[in-house]
Amino acid sequence: MAPILVWLILFLCLVISIVKYLMGLLMRLAFPSAKIRKDYTWQPTVSVLLPCYNEGQTVYNSIESISRSNYPAGSFEVIAQDDCSVDDSYEWMLKAQRDFTNISIRVGRNDQNCGKARTVCNALQHSRAEIIISIDSDCIFHPDAMRELTACFAEPGIGAVGGRVGVSNPNDNILTIIQTIVYYAAFELYKIPENSTRSICCISGCLFAIRRELLLEIEPILRARHWFGIPVNQGEDRFLTHQVLMRGFGTYINNDALCWTAVPTKLSVLFNQQLRWRSSILRDLFYTLRSLPKHVFKLHPNAIYTMILTPLGAIVALLVMVTMLSSNPLAWASPLPLVAYLGLGAIFSWAIGKFSIRETIRHPLAFGAYIAWSFSSSLFITPLALCTFDSGDWGTRAKVSEEAHLDHQSK
Amino acid sequence: MTTKASDSTLRSERARKPIYGILYKITLAFYRVFAIVTLYAVLAGIFCYAFIMGFYALNRSWAAPIILSASDDKSLDFVQKLVLSRQSIEDLKVDVVRQQTTLDEMAKYRSSLLALDAQLQAAIVRERAHDRLTGPQLTALDEQKQADNRKTREVLAQSHQLATQIKNDLASGLIAKGDAAAQLAALNHADTDYTDSRIAGVMLSDSVLDKTTVGTKSLEVLEKQAELRSDIAQLDVTLNVAQKQLEEDNRQIDRLRSAIGIAKQSPYYLNANGSNRIYFAFVPYDNQASVTVGAPIYDCYLNMVLCRKVGSVKQVFVGEQVINHPIFKTQVRGLTIQMNLSRPESAKSQTVFLGGKPLLF
Repeated sequence: MAPILVWLILFLCLVISIVKYLMGLLMRLAFPSAKIRKDYTWQPTVSVLLPCYNEGQTVYNSIESISRSNYPAGSFEVIAQDDCSVDDSYEWMLKAQRDFTNISIRVGRNDQNCGKARTVCNALQHSRAEIIISIDSDCIFHPDAMRELTACFAEPGIGAVGGRVGVSNPNDNILTIIQTIVYYAAFELYKIPENSTRSICCISGCLFAIRRELLLEIEPILRARHWFGIPVNQGEDRFLTHQVLMRGFGTYINNDALCWTAVPTKLSVLFNQQLRWRSSILRDLFYTLRSLPKHVFKLHPNAIYTMILTPLGAIVALLVMVTMLSSNPLAWASPLPLVAYLGLGAIFSWAIGKFSIRETIRHPLAFGAYIAWSFSSSLFITPLALCTFDSGDWGTRAKVSEEAHLDHQSK
Repeated sequence: MTTKASDSTLRSERARKPIYGILYKITLAFYRVFAIVTLYAVLAGIFCYAFIMGFYALNRSWAAPIILSASDDKSLDFVQKLVLSRQSIEDLKVDVVRQQTTLDEMAKYRSSLLALDAQLQAAIVRERAHDRLTGPQLTALDEQKQADNRKTREVLAQSHQLATQIKNDLASGLIAKGDAAAQLAALNHADTDYTDSRIAGVMLSDSVLDKTTVGTKSLEVLEKQAELRSDIAQLDVTLNVAQKQLEEDNRQIDRLRSAIGIAKQSPYYLNANGSNRIYFAFVPYDNQASVTVGAPIYDCYLNMVLCRKVGSVKQVFVGEQVINHPIFKTQVRGLTIQMNLSRPESAKSQTVFLGGKPLLF
């Protein structure tokens, strides 16, 4: 019975995934009306919250890109909050404050290191704007991004809006090629069906816009998040999106609101990032299961399927992988998945080259390596994520912190 | 599994509800133990997987025990084919005996025909030699006869005048009636003799013709001789074909016997006919170098460690076998060996090792 159930769940996950991608494609081609109604004339005041930890000069570049925004300068401000970086991030933030005088920049610093979610909350304390845009300090923003995000709030019932995260370094190496295709597929296809029902389950923290009153309502819960007494500092974007949906508001990703991020080029950094993401997905699953009846009554089925089947798929994939390796150790060596991935890589590369020129991929066949990543992702990341719920650092930046700390000590 | 972060809100909540703090600590302790065990298990699993894969990719002495049963499909199929082969041999043997008998009869008939042909040929030769001898004599006699007959005819022509004279003399009463009758009878007798002589002359001419030319009788004899020789030739062909068939049948019997002989060396034959339990193992071609009759066999825990000797290689079978790799599950080709096992349970092991322990212990 149990194996049948496992296979059934896996099959359902696969079907739902494939259906979502196909539906995304269909909706893009045949139902442009599924897009949100934007109103560019409504220009609310905006606070751009910029939590930062060990980003160095990148935070300066990020603020610089915001300073070039087309949004009326008097209607927005940047609140940069440093989470006790051990590098020169804070100095770069102050320098940006001095250099970009065309916009209002407030720079603050936490009393102690407390994680991204709480840094956002701390920054929020200084804001009085109608719309809060939380961004990652390593992203570069399109001048229209802010305008595009705020225009979406014209539709009644929209609580949070996300932007399209593009890859600024698509051809650095094989890892960035894979991530470019994955990002493109996720934003341009996978999330489209969720967009049509205004029930995006996770708006990326790179570019996250939310109504101020909503964030204030959620803030205490966000601060109090913990795992059996240990504060949770990761996955605040998924948590926030989930909370917005649970309060009856809609969520949407506006693919015209662009920002660019440099994706990890090292396997260890990518592994840590994926581990954080997987961890937040699994946390979210437990939260969903814990309050499933509430979800059923409040959320669109599309959202519930995504919230349950995406993480469940990861767990089931782990079980299937273990079963497969123990019963037929070389099954993974079949050429079929490789051919399938190469085919998908070719198709997406063509689409990226045509519709997102900045992300054009030079070696689409490199996507064949995604099979190895999927394999190790299912086998290593899921169990590691399940076993490290009590971890609460900044993930990829923690190493820098330790190294910098050691440097300080040695000096 | 550790965190440096802290939060005042949380601390205040814990302060309000100390029971939660205790519960959380207990839960976390269990969770961490579980997490550590799980992660080490995952690491151990990955290490074992990599080691097993590497071990079986490099090891050249493993063999996979095979348990065959008499009701096994291959065994049943094998026995069925063996029975059919034996039946074929018996059928061929009957055919061979029948063909040999027929062949003997045909040989006897051929001998008799050959003897008859020889006799006929001798008779023809003899007759021809006789004809060559008597032909000219008869021809001379025939010519002489013809000359005699011509002379007789001339004499008879004169005798006819004499008969007229006698009749005139009788009519004139010169001679008595009795004398006249006697004289006329004598003349008539001479005519009859002449006729007989002419008949004899014709018959002699016929004889000369027979003796000196090829007549219909000779042709009939020659036809009979040709028929006889044709019969012999046909018989030769039939004999030849029958002989070849016989030889082919004998060869087929030899082939079948040889095949059965080889088949008797098959593990399936031994399995189907052996009264005692027989133990077999599959050895891939890659590991063939380690297969020698008498080589020790080791059975190990976890398919590679804490090995002990459990028997030796008894026999190596030549036939190719294809089975799924016991670890990789891919198809591998190899041969089968028979094992002498002192510990029968080892026949149920996933793998055994030939020649020595795969590792040092």
